[in-house]
Amino acid sequence: MASVKLENVTKKYGQKLAVDNLSFEYEEGEFFSIIGPAGAGKSTILKMIAGIESVTSGKIFFDDYEVNALSARERNVAMAFETYNLYSHLNVYENIAFPLRAPERHEKLSKDEEKRRVEEVADFLGIKKLLGRKPVQLSGGEKQRVSLARAMVRRCECFLLDEPIAHLDARLKFSTQTALKRLSVKLGTAIIYVTHDYREALGLSDRIAVLRKGRFEQIGTPQEIYNKPATDFVANFIGDPPCNLIDGTLADQNGKTLFQSGTEFSIPLQKKSIGSAQKIVDVDQDDEIRLGIRPSRIKVSKERTSEHSFQLPIYAIVRRPEGAVITFELEKCFFRASVKGTEQYGMSEKVWLDFDQEHTFFFKKTVKISK
Amino acid sequence: MSRVDIKNVWKIYEGDVQAVQDLSFFIEDGEFLAVLGPSGCGKSTTLRMIAGLEDITRGEILFDGKVVNELSPSERNLALAFESYALYALLTVHENIAFPMRAKGMSRAEADKKVMWIANILNVTDILKKKPGGLSGGHKQRVNLCRALVRQPNITLLDEPISHMDVRVRANMRARIRRLHDELKLTTIYVTHDQEEAVALADRVAVMNHAKLQQIGTVDEIWNHPANKFVATFVGEPQMNFLQGRMESKAEVSINTKNGKSIFPFDGDVDADFLGSEITVGVRPQQVQLSMTNKTNDAIPGVVDLTQFQGESVIVTVILDDEEKTEVKAVIETDWVPDPGNKVWLKMAPETIHLFDGETPILR
Repeated sequence: MASVKLENVTKKYGQKLAVDNLSFEYEEGEFFSIIGPAGAGKSTILKMIAGIESVTSGKIFFDDYEVNALSARERNVAMAFETYNLYSHLNVYENIAFPLRAPERHEKLSKDEEKRRVEEVADFLGIKKLLGRKPVQLSGGEKQRVSLARAMVRRCECFLLDEPIAHLDARLKFSTQTALKRLSVKLGTAIIYVTHDYREALGLSDRIAVLRKGRFEQIGTPQEIYNKPATDFVANFIGDPPCNLIDGTLADQNGKTLFQSGTEFSIPLQKKSIGSAQKIVDVDQDDEIRLGIRPSRIKVSKERTSEHSFQLPIYAIVRRPEGAVITFELEKCFFRASVKGTEQYGMSEKVWLDFDQEHTFFFKKTVKISK
Repeated sequence: MSRVDIKNVWKIYEGDVQAVQDLSFFIEDGEFLAVLGPSGCGKSTTLRMIAGLEDITRGEILFDGKVVNELSPSERNLALAFESYALYALLTVHENIAFPMRAKGMSRAEADKKVMWIANILNVTDILKKKPGGLSGGHKQRVNLCRALVRQPNITLLDEPISHMDVRVRANMRARIRRLHDELKLTTIYVTHDQEEAVALADRVAVMNHAKLQQIGTVDEIWNHPANKFVATFVGEPQMNFLQGRMESKAEVSINTKNGKSIFPFDGDVDADFLGSEITVGVRPQQVQLSMTNKTNDAIPGVVDLTQFQGESVIVTVILDDEEKTEVKAVIETDWVPDPGNKVWLKMAPETIHLFDGETPILR
């Protein structure tokens, strides 16, 4: 077991900056996820920690020991990738046991001990029944779990998992996530987990780092990332339906401060919101700021509910098993409210909206929002 | 008018591969119907038979009461959009959308007007001059939809049209597709493997598995009264929990635990024949109630195994103290969430209980 620390790590491929002066430290036994869109540099970070890629500048430490000069083998980390690379001539048991038998690992397990370890991890990942099969007899999802088992069977400094369950169907993904979480709690070994799926990251992690173009936008617990997104990028990346982002300006009217977007959207701001909105205007030197609010924080009703409510027509309604998601159209964007219960609404019906300003964010505009 | 009737339709491929077996259902004029099922269940074959792209081995398909078995796709006046987007690489987006109309002899001016109209609805006006090669998957699918819908067909057939799209784009596209359906009063058949998508968009859902129709009904019917265990597990995320129980009386079911018996009253009737027999109790994770205390015997004790934060909710996995050590998931949306290791009590409200004898529901 080890803690891993990155100090001002940069990676360039030619002129292209893949990882930009990153520093972070993660603690022993932590489940640490790195999430971000394709091309953000997630896999590059893992490969540098594993020693598969060199760092262009900066230092990587395991505990307090600098490992820059160590080879991948010497670093003693286990990796699992999105692609599985199983040995086709070995059966599933032998594939999983393979790293245990590697001479340089000095594991020297007895046959019984090896069997116990393989079966334990196979059981956790729901592939115990497959141990006698050859890879060619497995589905893509099964291969991926075997590949994951082969990494997780080892006892090592840390596990580096790169989209290890990306190819599983939704249902299997969920049960494998559960298994992975359980395994990580049991082993107590640090896991660095790369994914583009925010649900995986929220459900599995102790902390999450949101990566964008080689830089971290925010590092925090799943609750912090979800409830207090640091930037519009983080807000936009996490949640389904996604966090609403509405661009607009502040205006004064009869002593009240309003947030206005186009001609049809205007809400009176509460005191606390005015402060945080004004701060963005001041720092950013841009009149237009971005309001963020999760769909669950917008109340929809047929009657007016407070002095801050306002009316808009419904653009479209899609269902959820015990509720609905209602979409509203503004000039430059859509936004959504998720509602529960049985109240029936119709397309184009004008309804009252109430934004929960305790859970409304204001951001500088850094991502493009499409309509 | 455009009502579709599917009557005892079979599709049998060479070598007696039965892709669709004795399928019967209808789609009413103006309805949004989703055909939902896992891959290989026959849903796309069904769509292709409706479209006329696939011969019907046995049975009849009727449009507005007229058999269309022998009509070619173009004679059926349908719009089709498939997951794989076959756009013409050499034509611009504008030309791609205009092509089917121009091919039918529509004037350039009129076709252009229609292109602008649909491009506006599906938000592709700023890419009309581009060629498909440079477009993202999501854009291609939208262009594909434009091309299908621009002719305002009698029936719109969509096969996983937005499955490749990013979550953020998809949320907008769902709203646009539903809006388009309502505004243009389309009759839409939408094929998908994604239960969330089917629930989101459709008025009614037809669930297929192993080449057969399992159930057709509104979202509420499918959710509250699944026709069998397959439908119960396929719709809903995380999937329905199942517990081993025993029919205690005509209105109560019991589950054996270490401490004795937990009794749960349920809504509805059960055939008297089941009294005293072993049955399966189903309850959706969203409807499971967990509490730290319990005073009566209407709860099952268990220990929290793990919790998974999902933003709006937390999924709690509990290992119950019943005879099978059943693993149960509960979706908790309150501020209170138990920690792993906590002892909790699981309760089920009478209206949330499903009962199965093997695959078959027995509650009436």
